Amino acid sequence: MSKETPILAVENLVMHYTTRKGDVSAIDGVTFSLEKGHSLGLVGESGCGKTSIAFSLMRLLPDNAKIKQGSIFIDGEDIITMSYDQLLKFRWRKIAMVFQAAMNALNPVYTVGDQIVEALDLHDMIKNKAEAEERVAELFELVGLDPALMHRYPHEFSGGMRQRAVIAMALSCEPDIIIADEPTTALDVIVQDRILREMKKIQQKLGMSMIYISHDIAVIAEVSDHIGVMYAGRMAELASGVDIFERPLHPYTYALMRAFPSIKGEKHDLTTLPGEPPDLLYPPTGCRFHPRCPFATDICKEKQPPFENVGGEHYVACWHPMEVHNDHH
Amino acid sequence: MNNTAHTTSSAPTSLWKMRLRLMRKSLKTGWDIFKENPVGMVGLVIIVFFALLAILHPILMATVWDPGTYDPITGYDFKTLIHPSPPSWLPQPDNPMYKPSFRHILGTDPLGRDVLSQLMYSTRSEFLLGVGAALVTVLIATTVGAVSAYYGGLIDILFMRMADVMMMLPFIAILIVLSSLFQFKMIHLAIVYGILAGFGGTTIVIKSQALTIKVKSYIEAARIAGGGDGHIIFTHLVPNLLPLSFLYMMFTVTGAIFSEAVLSFFGLLDIRMSWGLMIQTAQAAGYLLNSWKYWYLMFPAGLSITLLCAAFYLVGRAMDEVVNPRLRKR
Amino acid sequence: MGKYILQRLGQILVTLFVFQTLLFVILTAMPGDVTNRMLTNPDIPPEVRERTRQALGLDDPVLVQYGRWFQNFITGNLGVSYSEYPTPVIEILEERIPRTMVLFLAATIVQFVVGFSMGRALAWQRGGFFEYGSTIVGVTLYTVFTPWFALMMIFIFGARLHWLPLGKFLTPILWRKVDIPGMSDSLTKANYVFTRMLWTATAAFVIWLIMAYFTRNLSHTKRNRTRLIATVIILAVSIGGWAMVDIGPLAWDITKHMILPIVTLTLVGFAGTMLMTRQTMLETLREDYIQTARAKGLPEKLVRDKHAARNALLPVFTGLIISLPSVISGGIITETVFSWPGMGLTLLNATTQEDIPLVMGTLSFIGVLSLLAHLVADITYAFLDPRIRYS
Repeated sequence: MSKETPILAVENLVMHYTTRKGDVSAIDGVTFSLEKGHSLGLVGESGCGKTSIAFSLMRLLPDNAKIKQGSIFIDGEDIITMSYDQLLKFRWRKIAMVFQAAMNALNPVYTVGDQIVEALDLHDMIKNKAEAEERVAELFELVGLDPALMHRYPHEFSGGMRQRAVIAMALSCEPDIIIADEPTTALDVIVQDRILREMKKIQQKLGMSMIYISHDIAVIAEVSDHIGVMYAGRMAELASGVDIFERPLHPYTYALMRAFPSIKGEKHDLTTLPGEPPDLLYPPTGCRFHPRCPFATDICKEKQPPFENVGGEHYVACWHPMEVHNDHH
Repeated sequence: MNNTAHTTSSAPTSLWKMRLRLMRKSLKTGWDIFKENPVGMVGLVIIVFFALLAILHPILMATVWDPGTYDPITGYDFKTLIHPSPPSWLPQPDNPMYKPSFRHILGTDPLGRDVLSQLMYSTRSEFLLGVGAALVTVLIATTVGAVSAYYGGLIDILFMRMADVMMMLPFIAILIVLSSLFQFKMIHLAIVYGILAGFGGTTIVIKSQALTIKVKSYIEAARIAGGGDGHIIFTHLVPNLLPLSFLYMMFTVTGAIFSEAVLSFFGLLDIRMSWGLMIQTAQAAGYLLNSWKYWYLMFPAGLSITLLCAAFYLVGRAMDEVVNPRLRKR
Repeated sequence: MGKYILQRLGQILVTLFVFQTLLFVILTAMPGDVTNRMLTNPDIPPEVRERTRQALGLDDPVLVQYGRWFQNFITGNLGVSYSEYPTPVIEILEERIPRTMVLFLAATIVQFVVGFSMGRALAWQRGGFFEYGSTIVGVTLYTVFTPWFALMMIFIFGARLHWLPLGKFLTPILWRKVDIPGMSDSLTKANYVFTRMLWTATAAFVIWLIMAYFTRNLSHTKRNRTRLIATVIILAVSIGGWAMVDIGPLAWDITKHMILPIVTLTLVGFAGTMLMTRQTMLETLREDYIQTARAKGLPEKLVRDKHAARNALLPVFTGLIISLPSVISGGIITETVFSWPGMGLTLLNATTQEDIPLVMGTLSFIGVLSLLAHLVADITYAFLDPRIRYS
């Protein structure tokens, strides 16, 4: 790992949604960073706060969301304290996003090309119409689309084509970071796999940083250098992909791995976790995983475990990391 | 939610009991959501206010109001005749009407009839008309919607084309001709309006709702259990359509009251008293474009029509939020 | 798109057929027939009534009469008016249809544009005074008793403030002063002037459409500015042209009579569009592509005006199509209250005078007008929605 300043650094981020019933603690003290040219995967069950993090990174949160604490540095600037005008210049130019529901991420009444040109125009990436078309054609080729399709409307595209178009749009302003929020969930498995591979290739070619978000650890593992496992608004474990797979420390990570069949084809019993993710209106005390954790003790109920480096860039927030249990068995 | 109730039904009595209990429960949750909508509550308050007016009229006529003077149609205040030099609150020789006073709170119309009494008397018939038309509409729309969703095919095509026709045509034009040529009374208008609205847009909405219910598992279960078409339509499909039908009733009430007012304003209905007729009487006698002095001829009837129509419309919109969770504010 | 339009056209023809049938049913279901009035005249012997019945074909089987009804409708043979005997119904309608069309078109377009822009602006104001204020005003106007509201408008702007005439089509004194060669009475003059006004408006509209077509590829802000300037120029040229000719004051007289009915119809109609636009805008703002637009760094104003509003336009326009019949109904009421001699007033007068041929003719053409408006609106919708335009 290089020691240069990371392109993205999230420090102790706390975010709440205000609802009629009370505050929902959606993100509670998340810290991580991302080096230039690297990729990070965020994984967890739905409602664990991974999408909330993605939207926080772009400051695209809904009106009822409030960032209570923490900072998000992108290329050395804190986007939380940034002015709105500055933020507009930052979005897409520094950090772009491939949305979860790519099917609906394109505006149905404008041509796909126009929607990409709009972003280019906004960030002064082009001077005239000819240049715009040239650039869109280039992007279309990069993501494997026929440039002639740029004058078509989204409804004339298939699901996979739309996904590629959305990726082309994310690439258009050459951002430093791209967030891919469940980029392929709506597609069939073969298309999914191909698109992910191509994204990885493009990322390496252009030297961008990438954040993949998925509930499927197998998908994440294939494309990410580092993996962060999230549970109930907190980061449970963060380590290199190899470490997560070979040496999972948090019981939740362990359970997740057992819940998903390995891509390498090793057969595991699909042990599912008992219980459900907690209601974040009333989050559990101490470690938020303790009600479902087979190894929970009194301290887990009382005190929140610190998110600590246990050596070799491997972070975990657990009072009883897994290796200890493994030793016992 | 009704799933268990339908599939476990073997004894009809317990089924109905359970359905009633579920209905009461969903009514309560519905009311809880409705209560939080200020707009809907305003509408409800207005409706209750007018309902009180309607109920109060016969009571007042039987107690404090002398029928000879206060009858909305034939009443006349003879005091105006016996006074040689009337004080200011009594009708003047150049102006035969009573101004609003304690005796006639909203004055009298150009024929010497008490405006408040007319207003209250008309309220009852407006309610009857509105509710009558709405019942006809709901009866037709729910049946037609359920039947065409259930059977599909030719029946469906036929009814839907008919709904298109109804939706594309201006009701008022047809009603003007019908009411005049056939000398409509209130009841005829209620039925005809109910039919026009019932076969029109309401059917389409109810049918699309029925389509979503038709594919639910309890319908399938009922069919497997050997339920006949009629049985399934009327015991499983229709009860689940009722909340939506009830919602559209509100909009029908608005439409019916509005149409009645327009037609009687044009003098086309064979009725003796209504809000529309009150405005027509005042306008025909030339009091409306005269001056602000005759506000009691200008405003009460016009505002009542507007308010009551708005009230039913508002309640309908608020109920829309109860029935369609998509519209609910978070 | 061709298929879509053909389908709509077919649907509308079917509707027209059903409507004509409905009218025929009404006509035959009416107690008695036209010869009934002969009964009240003791000088007419029963044989004459019989002969009239035969001459009019009233003794023929119902199906034959039904066929004849259609044949007459298609050939435009709508009979002769009783109340304006012996003017053929079709002639009366030819004179009145344009007047209604102008009122209807102007009111529809103005109310849609105003309602949409206001609803779009209101979507910015969430909660608080504006939301409640707009809802109250909107619902009041939406459900207001139209005849009464029209009377109030006449009372305030006509009778009290004297800004505008009280009603009718023209001011006769003014028309007697201006000579148009070859025309003696004001009615002929009025039709002459009105026809020319219509041509001007049509020409201006066509030029505007051509302008809109050529500016379609400009960027959002530039296009809006260019179109605004072009619209002002087109309006200035056409109004300026009329101001210079002799019959200009006459045209102004007709226009003055038109303002209040149009304003009334607009006020009654725009609230529905406004409330619906606001609601649709708020729903559209939750769509994923709105997030995309924001993420791209578009300022909030552009997100709403360019992305949300353009999409919200589609359901709101559908709402307009659905509400077309009620706009026509409103037009009939407004015409009557303002004594504007169009189809609505004709229908009411013919009805009260039991001028059956004129009633049926007018009702037929109100139906035709309604269906035509539907067709035009459907085609416009197809152009607005690329999902229909390119399929």
